[in-house]
Amino acid sequence: MSTRRVVSLAIVMTTVAVALAVVAGRAQESRWEAPRTPDGQPDLQGMWTNYTNTPFEVFAEGDKPDLYAGDPDRTAQGTGPGFLNDTAGRQLARGRSLVVDPPNGRVPIMPWAEERRNYKLAHIQDDWVNHTAWERCITRGVPGGLFPAGYGSGYQILQSPGVVAIVYEMIHEARIIPLDGRPHIGSRIRTWNGDSRGRWDGDTLVVDITNYNDKGSVATNVATQRVRAIPQSEALHVVERFTRVDENTIIYEATVEDPKVFTAPWTVRIPMQREPDYRMFEYACHEGNHALPNTLSAGRARDGAR
Amino acid sequence: MSWLRGASIAAVSAALALGAAQVMRNGVQGQAAAGNILRTIDGRPDLNGIWQAIGTAHWDLRDHQARPGPVLELGAVAAVPAGLSVVDGGEIPYQPWAAARQQENYEHWLTRDPEVKCYLPGLPRATYMPYPFQIVQTAGNDIVMAYEYASASRVIAMGTVEPPPVDAWMGQSAGRWEGDTLVVESNGFNDQTWFDRAGNFHSEALQLVERFTPVTADRIDYEVTIEDPKVFTRSWKIQLPLYRRHDRNAQLLEFKCVEFVEELMYGHLRKKTGDERPYGAARVRWP
Repeated sequence: MSTRRVVSLAIVMTTVAVALAVVAGRAQESRWEAPRTPDGQPDLQGMWTNYTNTPFEVFAEGDKPDLYAGDPDRTAQGTGPGFLNDTAGRQLARGRSLVVDPPNGRVPIMPWAEERRNYKLAHIQDDWVNHTAWERCITRGVPGGLFPAGYGSGYQILQSPGVVAIVYEMIHEARIIPLDGRPHIGSRIRTWNGDSRGRWDGDTLVVDITNYNDKGSVATNVATQRVRAIPQSEALHVVERFTRVDENTIIYEATVEDPKVFTAPWTVRIPMQREPDYRMFEYACHEGNHALPNTLSAGRARDGAR
Repeated sequence: MSWLRGASIAAVSAALALGAAQVMRNGVQGQAAAGNILRTIDGRPDLNGIWQAIGTAHWDLRDHQARPGPVLELGAVAAVPAGLSVVDGGEIPYQPWAAARQQENYEHWLTRDPEVKCYLPGLPRATYMPYPFQIVQTAGNDIVMAYEYASASRVIAMGTVEPPPVDAWMGQSAGRWEGDTLVVESNGFNDQTWFDRAGNFHSEALQLVERFTPVTADRIDYEVTIEDPKVFTRSWKIQLPLYRRHDRNAQLLEFKCVEFVEELMYGHLRKKTGDERPYGAARVRWP
């Protein structure tokens, strides 16, 4: 059997397995009755994690993991997509890709945005604005803060009447999602994390996010591979869907639309596991950010040596 | 109306007034009259909402007179308003070395205050900074307090918790209800945060007992007992009210101030391009 045939067979088998898993998931979904909070919301509360071994995108020839990791000269190792090794004994899924739409598992990025990303990541020693907002300790973003990063992946969901709050372990984000039907804030207010408005669609929490600034990026961490550090525009619009499909699983989906950056909308699907014993530690990022001044001072030292 | 009747009415009125005053004082002690505060479905006080302190405790917990701001060109805009002490008894009982350190902090405010660098505020400072914070109170479980400043937050675990594994800027908080008062005990702090912009400080031995007592639907009396045997001679208390934000469509907005301090902290390390816009020659008057 040729290598190509083996690969084809593997792809077919994976596709069948994924299809079966989806069918099984649906069947389970219909049986599962989501618990309710006292005010009648589907209850998503508790401690969740999203550790996974599924790559963000389908890898392709021509991808440059060292560049996406901000290390175009390959001075360090081990920053490629295979670094998500779990040491806590979790049974991590290893699927084809978290990107489920388009079906080829590749985010449809416009060439200018890739060029911009290439420039910025090759010049992180020049200026902090060339780093992503995560290295700057500003935010991992929305939806980026819910993209698996390989560590610090705890999320606590709390609900009160009219509000869902998600406490993110990584960069201590406490994201408040109002459910009272209020309009988005005015378009003069641009933000790193956007303005979230939630509603229940059956048992699914649907969150609509607008009012982004054009300084951040949808994805910030190395595990997001080619999508990391791709710029976002003020036209960015994200719709998230949180569905608790059984006692221990929330399926998180985010559809990302930015007509100035992507040629089509794209969707990621990420399982979140309930992990009641998981303990979040304070992620006080900016307060101990040595990476940023060290990167810059290395750059100035390099300039001086030239 | 006979003089006797008049006197009786006066006496009854006085008694009612005294009683009302008593109720108001008791309210501070955690026995607010039932019915004038919001309650959850299960009868707990409902602290959900957006709250903010109105005073000037963020400038100085103690009595402080008005003074001009630190940058001459800002004129009256960034001046410091006067304020009365929120400390019971007025003064903070520092050990002598610590009193000297506080004075030194005050004199080097801009280079030492963690707020200048957009660092996490710690407690209780986060509560009375001039930014709103939101309480999300679940039915019978954890409570999150999300602060607009620097996207800081803390989850208050209801019930008992294990000792804090490491020191943290925001510490570790465990809560319980005593009547209508939410009592929060916090420890596990580091020694990097301050109490205000006047250099009042603590060590990593800091222990707090905070009491959030709703006295009306729109006001919480906030009382904190502060203990730190490395810095103070005894425990001490602050008290101040928190008010509900009623602004139309009030919500926490984003105040991610890291971006505002990068030039201050890293500007000297940026690669010069020649296109830099020069800064104006602002004159720093103090500290």
